[in-house]
Amino acid sequence: MSSLAEGSQGRSWTRWYHARWQRWMVRRLPPQSPIELTQRRLFIFPSRPGLAFLGVLAAILVAAINYENNMAYALTFWLGSVFVVAVHMTFANLHRLQVQAVGAVPVFAGQQARLVVRLSARGRRSYCGLAAGWHTAGDAFSVPGRGSYDLSLFCCAPSRGWFDPGRFLLETRYPLGLLRCWTWLDLGQRVLVYPTPLAPTQLWEAHSGGGRDGPPRGPSGEELADFKAYQPGDPLKSIAWAAYARSDTLVSKVMGDTQAQDLWLDFSRLPMADSETRLSWLCWLVLDAHNAQLRFGLRMPGVELAPAVGEPHRDAALRALALYTPGSGA
Amino acid sequence: MKVVEQIPRSAIIWLILSQLCMLLPLLGELPLWTPVLVIAVAVVRLQILRGQWPWPSRWLRVLMMLAGVAGVVMSYRSLLGLEPMVTLLVTAYALKLFETQSLRDGYLLAILGFFTAMTLFLYDQSIVQVLAVVVVLMTLLSALLALNEPRATPLSAAPLRRSAVLLTLALPMMLVVFLVFPRIAPLWSVPIKNHSAKTGMSDSIFPGDVTELGRDDSVAFRVQFEGDVPAQSQLYWRGLTLGREADGRWLQHASGRGEGLWGLAEVPEPVGEPLRYRVIQAPTQQRWVYGLRFAETADAGLLAVNDFTLRARSPIEFERGYTLRSWSESVLEPELPEWRRTLETATDATDHPRTQRLVEILRAQVDSRLGPTDPAARDQAFVAEVLAWLRREPFYYTLSPPQLDAETFVDEFLFASRRGFCEHYAISFVVMMRTAGIPARIVAGYQGGEYNPVSNTVVVRQFDAHAWAEVWLQGRGWVRVDPTAAVAPSRIESGLEAALAAEGSFLSDALFSATRYRDIGLINFFRQQYDAAAWRWQVMVVGYGGEMQLSVLRDLVGEITPLRLLALLGGVWLLVLAPMAWWLLRGRGGRSRSQAERAYWALCAELDRRGLTRLPGEGLTALRARLAESLHDEPALCARIEAVERALYETAPSR
Repeated sequence: MSSLAEGSQGRSWTRWYHARWQRWMVRRLPPQSPIELTQRRLFIFPSRPGLAFLGVLAAILVAAINYENNMAYALTFWLGSVFVVAVHMTFANLHRLQVQAVGAVPVFAGQQARLVVRLSARGRRSYCGLAAGWHTAGDAFSVPGRGSYDLSLFCCAPSRGWFDPGRFLLETRYPLGLLRCWTWLDLGQRVLVYPTPLAPTQLWEAHSGGGRDGPPRGPSGEELADFKAYQPGDPLKSIAWAAYARSDTLVSKVMGDTQAQDLWLDFSRLPMADSETRLSWLCWLVLDAHNAQLRFGLRMPGVELAPAVGEPHRDAALRALALYTPGSGA
Repeated sequence: MKVVEQIPRSAIIWLILSQLCMLLPLLGELPLWTPVLVIAVAVVRLQILRGQWPWPSRWLRVLMMLAGVAGVVMSYRSLLGLEPMVTLLVTAYALKLFETQSLRDGYLLAILGFFTAMTLFLYDQSIVQVLAVVVVLMTLLSALLALNEPRATPLSAAPLRRSAVLLTLALPMMLVVFLVFPRIAPLWSVPIKNHSAKTGMSDSIFPGDVTELGRDDSVAFRVQFEGDVPAQSQLYWRGLTLGREADGRWLQHASGRGEGLWGLAEVPEPVGEPLRYRVIQAPTQQRWVYGLRFAETADAGLLAVNDFTLRARSPIEFERGYTLRSWSESVLEPELPEWRRTLETATDATDHPRTQRLVEILRAQVDSRLGPTDPAARDQAFVAEVLAWLRREPFYYTLSPPQLDAETFVDEFLFASRRGFCEHYAISFVVMMRTAGIPARIVAGYQGGEYNPVSNTVVVRQFDAHAWAEVWLQGRGWVRVDPTAAVAPSRIESGLEAALAAEGSFLSDALFSATRYRDIGLINFFRQQYDAAAWRWQVMVVGYGGEMQLSVLRDLVGEITPLRLLALLGGVWLLVLAPMAWWLLRGRGGRSRSQAERAYWALCAELDRRGLTRLPGEGLTALRARLAESLHDEPALCARIEAVERALYETAPSR
């Protein structure tokens, strides 16, 4: 079970078993949100201490038989009954819990994605000693009665595009720790993963004729185009300090291509490299252009975003980069 | 990297508490160093928990365990047997506290604790012991609960309460399984209690031995009669007979050379109606059992011996019950062969010349009074003469007789000290009989007992231990003669307390013995109630099984078939489990919403139907703002949204 996500490696029968298991899980627990944990969605089995406990019960029973000791018999049956009660209690501690995907913030490839899952108790009973994680359960938390708890799950987003983190484990051993009740949940939650931003050093070399290590004053070798009133968030390096000395007002320099008003970030005009590298460069350029308050457009085979500024535009550009499929043009 | 979860502090405290609770009922059973060690380990572990002391190093821990094993070997001279094993288990269980750092160790220790708790029942299965084990179980369950609640405050009583709830919920199911579960014969032989002190009558008597028992108020056995209880003066519980003297100590006849006592040659003829009764004997580690004169049994675990006592096939290590029938009128051994007569009259007259002279004088007196007569009448008259002499002379019955020299005991006792307990009189009497040529032997056992009207039982305690004599008379067989009765008749008629009233020595060491205060009405009431409860517990619960189980099950299901038993089990489980499951799952679902919440969800469903679905994370205010245009034409819906919003947020949520 712990090899749920990376089970694709390994011997063929492991793969076969893994595939069977996945199919079975999808049939039994199809991706869904919100979801209420009911009988067919919960599994329960003795935990490792629970198995040891049952072993000790067997030993006590053997002693009771061999010593013909009625009180030892009673002890066996009492502890066995406590175990049965614990089965119900542990099961009740996940039963009818509401689980809902709240959302996930897009991340860059290689970063930790954070998925927020809201667990809420509709009834007045609280749920104690819950734990969740991707393969093994993490720290314990509780959901108060008629309340909710926002659970953050982190996982590494490996590559750009829609990332499906797969099923996560929600388990409890409460109250005695002798039983483990768990479920593998897929809330159908996906994370948008942008390409890893990569500074296009080859680009600078191509434009400046070589030798320069640092980045130019702006991408694509643009020059000073205009001044505008300073706004909080403008990069410090773009402030016109000379103007500030003269007039006591902060003025930002707006960098731009002198040839064209709009900066076009074009996939096909980048130096030769594989498409993932080019997407990473474009990602860096989009971020840098946004930081520099540039008006930019994005052109890729089959995709064209008209020049604009602002965060929604940047997000649209990043989204286009994340979801770009190389086969669709070029 | 493997993360090792630390054990919560509260769990450690519960584990230490459970060890101390377990120690209490074992105090008398373990060698003295074990409780000291357990308490020391608990103190050190608490100091470690408080951060005052460092952890003991690895080699120190190994050394301590080795010292524990050495201690067990030194105390018992062996590692085999029940007691060394329990001692070793308790020692290891305590020392394990020094290795309990992770969550996993905590579970291990608690689970080991359940097994150790079981060993308490191998020593005692009384009500008090059960209560002690319940306390131990509660602390162990509290430890398990604390392991699963790392943030709980240490020393809070909440886990204790919750473990009590757990045990209560589990109780009905346990009772059902206890009633139904078949009692299987032992699977293999197990280590026995070969190191426990033997209690009660020993297999030999030295002057002063029985006196020791006179200070002990623990229960030797309990008896329940079918029908009326005989008079106290008739309750002579025969345990074993001692017919051989060696260096002042009286022993059973040696077995093996054909002259031994083993095996009953012929069963005496029953005369009259037998007494029927059931005895439940406390563990003695000995093989003899106690019954009234000529006891017979159908119990396959008991053997009849040719001194008309009974022996268990193996030492009585645990509470043992047996049903007996006694014919008090039967003639025991009507014919005494010559070799038996030699054996039962053997005595060394040179050890006690004054006694020999006294016997000759008394014999001569009887003979001159009676004239020539048959030997049985002559012997009988001599017995009466000796008893009259004992009554006449100033003999005292006392719990603190002077220590006498073993070789010259009889002469010294009869003519000098004249202060003695029952065995002094019995030994002297038997020696006098044997000197006169009359076969005689000592009988060791108990006399009397306390009648408890609540349970209709007779409770025989250790201080009822008694030694008396049997003489063999032609035509009458073995006849009981109690010389103590001649000296202190009240001992036989009303028990030891009355006999020692003048001396005031009855249970003078046992300040807290309830028996000592039995003349105080209220104390006696509770004492008798408790005793009756203990009897019922022994018979109904500890002794449950076999025929009793069959009859209980027959009452419940009629004819006993596996199917019916399963149906009984299933039915009762349903009765027990269904309410429990309901109780546990209650208050978890969404049914118990408030009225406002129900109105809210109904509204959401209505909006869904109209295609105005609420977005995730959107409140009603935001929804109204977003859908202002669509809602413009529907003032009724708009008002409804507002009403629901007000209902939701105007009042504080009810809990």
